[in-house]
Parts: sequence; structure tokens; C-alpha cells
Amino acid sequence: MKYFFWIILAVFLLPVVSAQSLDVQSDSSAAGFKRVRVSVEIESFSGNGSLEFHVSETFHSAVVIIQGQAGEMTQPQVGEWYDDCWTSNNSGLNWTEIHRDENGQAHAFYSSPQILSIRCDLTGISQSKEDNLSVRLFDENQELDRIDTAIIALTADVLPPPPDSSPVLFAIGSIALTIIALFGYLRWKDRKSMNRHGLAFVLPAFLALVLLSFYPVAYGMVLSFTDAHEESIGDEEYNGLENYLDVFTSGGFLRVLFFTLVWTFTNVIFHVGIGGALAMLLQQKVRGKLAYRTLLLLPWAIPSYISVLVWKGMFHPEGLVNVLLGTETDFFSGVTEAQTMVILVNIWLGVPFMMMSISGALQSIPEDLHEAAKVEGVSDWARLRHITIPLLKPTVVPLALMGFIWTFNMFNVIFLLTNGGPQLWFGEPGGTDILITYVYDVAFVKGELGLAAAWSVVIFIMLMAFSWAYTKGSKATEAAV
Amino acid sequence: MSEDLSSSELPQTDLARRWYIPYEMELMRRGAILVILICLPMFWIASLRGDGWQTIAMGLAGGLLAVWALQQKNRDIMLVSSALILFSGLMQAFFALEVKVAAIDVWYSTITVALGGGGLWVLSSPHMSRWLSSRLELEEAERGLARNNKLSPRWKAATTHAILLHFVVIVLVPIIWIIDVAFSPGQSASGELGISDWTITHFDAVLSGSDFWTWGLNSVIVSIGTTMVGLMLAIPAGYAFSRYKFSGHGIMMFSLLLVQMFPGIIILVPYFMVMKTLGLLNTSLGLILAYSVTALPFCVWMLKGWFDTIPRELEEAAALDGCTTFSTFWRIILPLSLPAIAVTALFSFLAAWNEFLLALVFNTDSSMYTLPVGLASYISEASARWGDFAAMSLIVSLPVVLLFIFFQKSLIQGLSSGSVKG
Repeated sequence: MKYFFWIILAVFLLPVVSAQSLDVQSDSSAAGFKRVRVSVEIESFSGNGSLEFHVSETFHSAVVIIQGQAGEMTQPQVGEWYDDCWTSNNSGLNWTEIHRDENGQAHAFYSSPQILSIRCDLTGISQSKEDNLSVRLFDENQELDRIDTAIIALTADVLPPPPDSSPVLFAIGSIALTIIALFGYLRWKDRKSMNRHGLAFVLPAFLALVLLSFYPVAYGMVLSFTDAHEESIGDEEYNGLENYLDVFTSGGFLRVLFFTLVWTFTNVIFHVGIGGALAMLLQQKVRGKLAYRTLLLLPWAIPSYISVLVWKGMFHPEGLVNVLLGTETDFFSGVTEAQTMVILVNIWLGVPFMMMSISGALQSIPEDLHEAAKVEGVSDWARLRHITIPLLKPTVVPLALMGFIWTFNMFNVIFLLTNGGPQLWFGEPGGTDILITYVYDVAFVKGELGLAAAWSVVIFIMLMAFSWAYTKGSKATEAAV
Repeated sequence: MSEDLSSSELPQTDLARRWYIPYEMELMRRGAILVILICLPMFWIASLRGDGWQTIAMGLAGGLLAVWALQQKNRDIMLVSSALILFSGLMQAFFALEVKVAAIDVWYSTITVALGGGGLWVLSSPHMSRWLSSRLELEEAERGLARNNKLSPRWKAATTHAILLHFVVIVLVPIIWIIDVAFSPGQSASGELGISDWTITHFDAVLSGSDFWTWGLNSVIVSIGTTMVGLMLAIPAGYAFSRYKFSGHGIMMFSLLLVQMFPGIIILVPYFMVMKTLGLLNTSLGLILAYSVTALPFCVWMLKGWFDTIPRELEEAAALDGCTTFSTFWRIILPLSLPAIAVTALFSFLAAWNEFLLALVFNTDSSMYTLPVGLASYISEASARWGDFAAMSLIVSLPVVLLFIFFQKSLIQGLSSGSVKG
């Protein structure tokens, strides 16, 4: 039945690809979607300074203000940078593109005592959500000169018309028909055996699986070669390997990958270590075992998003952790501190699962082994090392792999605790971003769905490669032992 | 005969004197290691405070010195190190009283004073001093050995309790805090605990506002829908996989496993595109479809495992009595499988009830939020309503936690065998 798999793959990849190459028209000029235009007029300001835009307390972008003449800086056209900005020296009567230096930093020039106006289109504003916009003006000494705030609401008012659903419907329909035809063929093949009844029972589940899992995955792989953008869904065009080049050359790739690995390995090691130790403690004859077990299970029973938000409150500068420790620290201000905190919270969350799983494995170790060893006068430590750990290995090895995959994909903790910050600049991963939270940013804050799909594929391949190497490695060590 | 015995006993009893080590030595060794261990987090806290590392350094020096002295059986150094540890604890308490008493200072001082004082007490006992200078009588050594046998399991149990209690405290502190915030007036994330000012205003506000009911209804619709759709797909499939060896059986089982291994992120972006194109964003149906298929592989595996345990003879008997395939399944297998179906249903319900990422991406309209996304929206960067959040999260998580604890055995069995985390 090997060819069966390839038939499925071929028949449903075909409509996916053809759906992509249908040229669907949609209005891509619907500007304003996930973009907010801000105009600022600055009066009675002298000397140099800078203007900063913060969206919901997160730094978004800055314009350097210089008193004098524009030097040799370029004036990029609209669309060349994330934010399009303009300046005007006569109260916004005629706007000119803003000057940018070689790093893309925007510079606005003015000569006093004129009024300086700056206009920017801020990208990456979440839709249907109220955001606080604050505009901060700093003087030459980096001190806050004045601040103005506004609320951005309902940027989704200017949503583009919904994209044409016919290609997707066409793909789904043809996949469904293919699967049904395939089951018909299989039933015909099994017509002489009772087993044919099974096919009808499996068909609904398998149909759902292919339509809602395999098709999206294949679709995602196709997407990763296109320039799909949230502003213009249905208007994708193939751009070859450009997304993948972007992924590997983007500034934060290695940094995020490194922290993701630190995050994953630290967490798994502590989960297995602490979980295993607690399981062994609870394996002994302890009074109140059931009470301990139930209490230690709580972090697993409580919905994880609630625990994470509670920890966020606990780490608040005036929160309970500071009170208990007698400190006055903002735990999420520095990169290293924030990284430590997100890892600690995730350790808290993940230990009970490992504890219970290892506990189950411990119970299956026959008592007699330990009894015999005790009679022989083997010490506790030697029993742990030569009986318990080798017998736990077959359970813990796959468990650790599972833990690895989950932790690698753990979104809630970092998103809710720090949202990737500190040092969260627009378009770049923040100090605590792991791959998965950064992909979320790329896809749903920046709206670059094609690029995000490419990131997803890269993550998927990395996970697959790791799982393969791990299984291979653990089998090799098993054979060696 | 009696002479023989006594002559063979003699070298043994002599051995007893040579082998005997008072249990206090073992306790002091553990205590010294404990002091070193608790000094490490204390150094971190001192660095956060930017002050007070000297007292901790004193404790650490005492601990390290004690380990060395115990190795050397050097009584004077042991006394000095105990005194150092004791003094470090007293200093910490003294400075904390001057500034502000924090729980961690109480913890550190209690442990170090107890260990340092205990060390001094034990070392000054005549029994220990006789043992250290090797002037112990034979009888005393024998009594000591018997005492060791009695003390060892007791201290072992005490150590276990102490370790477990520490973990329990770490687990309980956030829970106690959130209960306190829920009942305290105001919306701040204050760290001051206390029941003197408790009110139920937050519960009042949450239950009389519309947010909770809207989001709760969405969550209930999505979770029940997911459970229904998931079960309707999974029960027949699990049964067929258990009973029939049709063509393509192996490859379909494998594809179930494969889906289990897909990381959520690879599906997220294309899901979003498909849902957007089909107009299923901001609807319950989109989430139901997504959740039920995510939980499907696990449900199928779990139910297949259950069906495998039901003997085939039952169906053969039913077939002899003239039941069709479907009515055998419907009348005989299904009623027998209700416990497994209940656990599977509970699992998919809980998974849907707690899911965050897909709900965040799909339903961006606040009237279509599920409870997780709605609760998270209370704590945004711009404004954090901790009081309302705390009250609502207690209401939301209490039934979930109770269900989980009540069904923990079957859930954990199912979860660890099916390799899925809730």
C-alpha cells in the first residue's frame, strides 16, 4: 500500500497549486488597514531633538529632528520602508517624503521659527483593538519635552472586501471528491471481505483530517513561496525563494534560534529533573501522599493562560514576588532577567505533567528489585542509579522528546508574560521572543503571511530533524548499553 | 557453646565501636549542604537588592567550612562554622527588622539559626565530644548504632516532608495571591496580602457585566461543539481501526500519528488564510472545526485502545442473533464504551475550553472572544484590571480544576498514553 500515500499526496497537491495560480483580483490599494496615519504639529521647539511614537506602551518608531538644512540623505519613495513618513514646513500644505540616513532612520529638518509638521503611516497596528498611541517629543538632552496621547480605535473600518472564496472551495471540493473516490476504490478492492465495513466508519474522520490538517499544511508550504500579505489576501504571487532568503538573512534569526534552544533545553531538563525527583519522593511511604499529589498537580489543572497572567501580576514591580523577596525590581526590564523569568514560569507550569508521567512509570518497576537490592545492602543512591534510572529510561526518553516539541512550540507563556519584550522594536524579534512567538508577530502584527509561512516551514523542518536525530541517538545509546 | 559465641562476638562488637558514626554527623553534613544550597538564591536576591551580600557570604563560608570540617572530624572548625551560620542568620534577621521584614528573610534566618544553633547544641553534647576524641565506651557505641537505625527513617521522612512542603508553597503562593486580589478592592496588582478588607465587588461586577456572559457563552458553544463534532468523527473511526483490517488501514493510522506531530504553528497561518477566505473568522464554527480536528488523532487513539479491550465474542454472538454491523456497534459496543467516551469527551472539552492561540488569531472581534482571549484582554499594556481579572479567572478555573482533580486518574492515564498535553 505504499503507493496509496503518494496518490493521496499527488491528488490533493494538484488542486492546491492550481488554486494558487488562479488570478484573483482584489483591491490592494485599500490603505489604512493595519496602518494608522498620524500627523503631528510641533510648535515653539528649538534645537535638535527626536519624536517617538509608542503604540500601547511599545516603542514603534522615531524621527530625529534637526534644526538646519538637509544634508545628503536620501528621500525614499513611499513603500520602501515599514513606515512612510512625510514632513512639511508650512503647516501641512505640501508634504515631502522624509529624509533617511543609511540605516533607514528618519530625519526631519526645519529652520526656526517655522512650524514643523510630521506625518507618518504607522504599520503593524492590530485591527479591532483599541491601542493607545503616544507621541513623545524629546529635546537635545534626551529629556521628555512634551507628550501627547490619542486612542486608535477600529482600524478595521477600512478592511478590504473579503477575498474570493472560490479557489479554496474548489480545492476543498476536489480534495473531498478525491478522497471519496479513493474510499470507493478501496471498498471495491475489499468487496469480498467483512473489512469493507470499516471504511465507511473511517471516512468522516479521515475526510476531516485531510481537509483540515493535510490541506492547510500543504497550502502553507505553497504559501511560503508567495508574497501573501494580510492586506491583500487572494492577490498572492509567487516570489520563489525570497521568503526563505529573508528568514535566513533577517537580523534576529540566529539570536532567536539561540534563545529558543536555551529556552527549550533548560525547560525540559528542569521539567524532567524536578518532576522525576518529586515522583520519586512521592513513591516513598509518605504521610499525606494524596494531598501532596493533588496540590502539586494544581499548576497542570489550572488553565495555563490564567497561571501565566497570574505570574505576570506576581512579578509586577509592586507585586507579591517583590514583597516576598523584599526587593523592588522590575523583573521584565532587562533581557536576561526577563528570559530567566519566562523560563521559571514555564518550569512551574510543566513540572506536574512530568511528575505524573514519571510517577506512572515508577509504579511499573517491580518492588522485588528494590527489596532484593536492600537486602544486599545496596545504598539508596546506587539503587537509584542502577535500578530506577535504567528502568525509567524507556519512558523518559520519548517523554523528553514530547516535552521538547511542546516547549519549542509553547506560545502562551512568552506571549502573555512579555509579548517578546523587552527591547521590542517593530519588525525585529524582542529579547524574549522564541521562534514561535516571532512567527506570530510576522504573521499577525506585520501581516506578512507568506514570510510567516516560510518561517513555519523552517521550524517544522528543524523539529523533524531534531526528532529524527534524537530517536536515532537514543536508539544508538540503547544498543550500546 | 557459649564460649564459642562470645569469642566470635568479640571482634564484631569491636567493629561496632569502629563503625559507629553518630547520626548527628550525617544530619550536620546534610545541614551544611542545605546552607550552601539556600545561599545561592539568596545571593541572587541580594544582588537584586544591591545590598546585604556580606551576611549571605558569611553563611556560605560557614557551610563550606562545615563540609570540610566534617570530613576532617575537626571539632573546633565545626564549632566555628556552626557559629558562622548562626551569626549569619541572626544578622539577616537584624537587618531585615531595621528595613522591612520580607518572607524570604524569615525563611533564611529560620533555617540558618536552626541549623547553626542545632550544630552548636549537638557538638557540645558529651556523647559527641567523647566520640570525636575516640573515648566512646563499647556499650554506648552499640546503643548508638541501635539509635541510628531508629532515627534514620524518621529524619528521612522529615526531609521528604520539608522538600515537598517547599514545592507546595511555591505552587500555592500564586493561587493564594490571586484569591486575595479577587477579593480586595481596587484593580491593582498589589502584593499586600490580608483578608481585613475583603469585598465581593469584583465578583459582582463580573457577574453583572456582559463580558463574562458573552465570552462564557462563546466558550461553551465552542467547547460543546468541539466535543460533539470530535466524538462523532472519532467514535466510528476508533471502532473501525480496532475491528477491521481494511485496505489502507496502516497508512491511515500513520497519518493520524503524523498530524499529532505537526507543530501548531505550521497550520496556523494557512488556517487563518482558509478561514478568512471562507468567511469563518469571528465565528464559532471556525474554531469548532479547527479544535475538533486538532483533538481528533488523540481521541481516535484513546477510543481504539478501549475498543481493543472489548472481546470480539460479543459481536460474533450479536451477529449470530442477526444484528447488522451498525446495530451491533450501536446497541452493544457503544453502551459498553460510555466510560471511555466520557473521558475522551472531557478531554476534548477541556482542550477547547483552555485553547488560546487559535482563538486569539481567529476571533478578533471582542463580542466573539472566548474566555481565554477575553480574560487576557483585561490585562493589556495600556490598562490592567487585575481585580476583575482575578475574580473572573477564579470563576473560570474552579470548575476546570475540580473536574481535573476528580477525573485525574483516568485523564492522566489517557493523556500520558496518548501523549497529548491539555
